[in-house]
Amino acid sequence: MFAEWLFAAFSILAVLGGIGLVTFRHPMNSAMSLVVTMISLAGLYALLSAKLIFAIQLIVYAGAIMSLIIFIIMFLNVRTEDLPEEKGRFLYLFGGVVVLAPVFFFLKKIIQSIPATKATILGDGFGGIKEVGLVLFKDWLLPFEIVSILLLVALVGAVVLAGKRRMSK
Amino acid sequence: MIQNYLILSVILFCIGILGVVSRRNVLIVFMSIELMLNAANLAFIAFSRFHESMDGHVLALMVMAVAAAEAALALAVVILLHKHKGKLDTDVFSLLKG
Repeated sequence: MFAEWLFAAFSILAVLGGIGLVTFRHPMNSAMSLVVTMISLAGLYALLSAKLIFAIQLIVYAGAIMSLIIFIIMFLNVRTEDLPEEKGRFLYLFGGVVVLAPVFFFLKKIIQSIPATKATILGDGFGGIKEVGLVLFKDWLLPFEIVSILLLVALVGAVVLAGKRRMSK
Repeated sequence: MIQNYLILSVILFCIGILGVVSRRNVLIVFMSIELMLNAANLAFIAFSRFHESMDGHVLALMVMAVAAAEAALALAVVILLHKHKGKLDTDVFSLLKG
């Protein structure tokens, strides 16, 4: 019973944060709404007993990525008059809702055709660091290495992008 | 039970698509993409909980790593374009073609 109330609260917060993200005009307000969404998603992961993902969502998403985005917004010193003019923003939003509503109801129908499963009681270690780490390094070793190559490429790309400006000066 | 989580995930994904198609501010478009990645993560974790296997957690970790790499590169490009043009409009990104 308590878990249902928590789910309702977190999901309402997440959806409100998302709506705030797409409707606020200034990117700083949008970033703050996205932080609300990220934190409530972390709460949902905890409800799904994914302990490691809960911690990583808070540290990496709500911590690192969002603070990077907010740092960039502050760094660019965006003022209200610098923002692109978005006169037809709500019109486009309305049009997007009209286009996406059939997609949403179609997916909803698919989701409701999934056989209902009761939430079973899990073992102690589900979602803990040790268990996820065992799965990661046993069954998913090759994708893990590919992700490390991707991070290396991103690192080199960031250095190249940052160094170009200095050369052109 | 699992249906509620999946429907929430679809709602968040649709909000992200709305942000991408209806806004012109580069940073907000970028944050909407992050929101879509998060919605996919929620679906992964929900399926993983109800099938009692932890593969979904591993996939969610991979998505987070990809999102971090994407954030670093995309924000670097946004800063460079803002330095050149002084605008945050998505039209500025038409410079990138060709």
